[in-house]
Amino acid sequence: MTTYDADGITLERVREYVWEIPQEGDMRVPARVLASEALLEQIEDDKTLEQIKNTTHLPGITDHAICMPDGHQGYGFPVGGVGALDAENGCISPGAVGYDINCGVRMMRTNLTYDEVQGREEELVDSLFANVPSGLGGGGIVEAGVDTVEEILARGVDWALENGHAVEDDLLHCEDEGMREGADPDKVSQKAKDRGKNQIGSLGSGNHFLEVQRVTDVFDGEVGEAYGLSEDQIVVLIHCGSRGLGHQTCNDYLRKIEQQHEGLLNQLPDTELAAAPAGSQLAEDYYAAMNAAINFAWVNRQLIMHRTRQVFERVFDRSWEEMDMHLLYDVAHNIAKKETHTVGEDGEERELYVHRKGATRAFPAGHPEVPSAYRDVGQPVIIPGSMGAGSYVLRGGENSMDLTFGSTAHGAGRLMSRTQAKDEFWGGDVQQDLEEQDRIYVKAQSGATVAEEAPGVYKDVDEVVRVSDALGIGDKVARTFPVCNIKG
Amino acid sequence: MGFELRDHTADVAVAATGDSLEAVFEATADGLAAASSDDIPPETGERFSLTVTAERREALLFDYLGELIYLRDVRAELPVDNRVESIEATGAESDTDATAWSLEASARGVPLGAVDAREVKAVTYSEMRLESTADGWEAYVVFDV
Repeated sequence: MTTYDADGITLERVREYVWEIPQEGDMRVPARVLASEALLEQIEDDKTLEQIKNTTHLPGITDHAICMPDGHQGYGFPVGGVGALDAENGCISPGAVGYDINCGVRMMRTNLTYDEVQGREEELVDSLFANVPSGLGGGGIVEAGVDTVEEILARGVDWALENGHAVEDDLLHCEDEGMREGADPDKVSQKAKDRGKNQIGSLGSGNHFLEVQRVTDVFDGEVGEAYGLSEDQIVVLIHCGSRGLGHQTCNDYLRKIEQQHEGLLNQLPDTELAAAPAGSQLAEDYYAAMNAAINFAWVNRQLIMHRTRQVFERVFDRSWEEMDMHLLYDVAHNIAKKETHTVGEDGEERELYVHRKGATRAFPAGHPEVPSAYRDVGQPVIIPGSMGAGSYVLRGGENSMDLTFGSTAHGAGRLMSRTQAKDEFWGGDVQQDLEEQDRIYVKAQSGATVAEEAPGVYKDVDEVVRVSDALGIGDKVARTFPVCNIKG
Repeated sequence: MGFELRDHTADVAVAATGDSLEAVFEATADGLAAASSDDIPPETGERFSLTVTAERREALLFDYLGELIYLRDVRAELPVDNRVESIEATGAESDTDATAWSLEASARGVPLGAVDAREVKAVTYSEMRLESTADGWEAYVVFDV
């Protein structure tokens, strides 16, 4: 048997790109890592493998805890982690969703070509930066009271539609049509609502961004056509989440669970994995609050997208409808969802809380939960890369239901710490190099953020996507390259 | 005695030391401010007070740092120059008494418009340590960025 020794943890090769950490001690199931050896080398010395092992201690974890090809060290659960926990006899863990509930990405198509944008990049990036709130304390597109926040929490993008920030077609191209059932604003704390009310329609900072991109490659013509993608086309990618409202919601429930479910917590190797037993009041309350925060994040990205349409209208002097600026898809990558999966050797159907933290749902063609617009070809999966590298559009692969509970990667995955990045890069240099060498125009609130998000701090997104494609969990459809990027 | 920002792949970690529990809490909070901004204006902003209670010492540190992040968003100010005036154990440490430990603190709130700061999303329990040593106290906290 081929093995890989990584700083005290031995992985056994199951087949190409599938590695297993065998069950031992208090692990309830084995852990799996989906990676090439090149990707494994990048995580062998940090805590990624220890964290995916820790995840297997959660009650009700089913089949395997799985680390995606872009996985890296996080807190509690690794980033790139997928854990399916039995929704009847298992548990739900806020830390395994992450603080930024429904952090995710959406891509909007246009009918513009790169030729039409060339020469207008500075005007476009300046206008986007001036009109899309970003950074800390930058406010939001909508300044609202708590009543409005509660409506958003309950109704998601339907609220945006009613208030002129969306069109019907936007809802049809968003996961769950932009509204989670079972969202309960009353389960979200006042503190969370107070944080959220000034941040509705804002990017935030860190790795969140809005990027105008050009499609450089379409690998699968048939699926590309179904997604409305063609070479040289301009698209817009938006990456952000539920802002302070989501962060506070995770924080609140982590503390409540710690206080009320000490017995379960004592079985876990990391307090950050604190979990509420399925069926308990706190499990129900957290699920309802998380669903509400999911709705908030969808509205956040919707408002930013709609504002982007208005910016394009001013810069290109024609209506957004004429530019065919329609949502391709919006997909979450920090989320837990009740889903029914076929599990175990007997092929039993079971309802599970599928936790995806830094992982993207990737349902294949024919799955009933894929929106009807894409059901024949499979769910779009959007994989943002770094500022200097391409991003990818994939489609849910045929093997995703068997291998990963219908999931794949969510990005390039970080390689270098933020502190090291600031030592190695200076924001101004990064910005200048991107503009002079690659014609990528970047505008940020903070030079430090540019340094921390420099292309060199990320893994090779091409390798991450190659492994996803080879495993058949997310198949390559198209590649895009940045034109303009704004960030906090 | 003070703090250092430590490498962490995705996030930021603060390692802090202090000759008292108050001092190590204070240093950790200043580490949070440093993780948010490389260039904190020395004079700008008014001081404000905060009180936090929790059931355990580590939970008190978690809630103190979480409260600073919450106040940053709702006050639109970055809390800097943190002072922890007192930490008291008001009763026997208990997992059920949410007021077993209490803290009185203050900070200078620099308006977010006056500082180049980035968002620290949350405090985490991951790898958290709060330990007494021969010289006082040590803390290690990972923040989600």
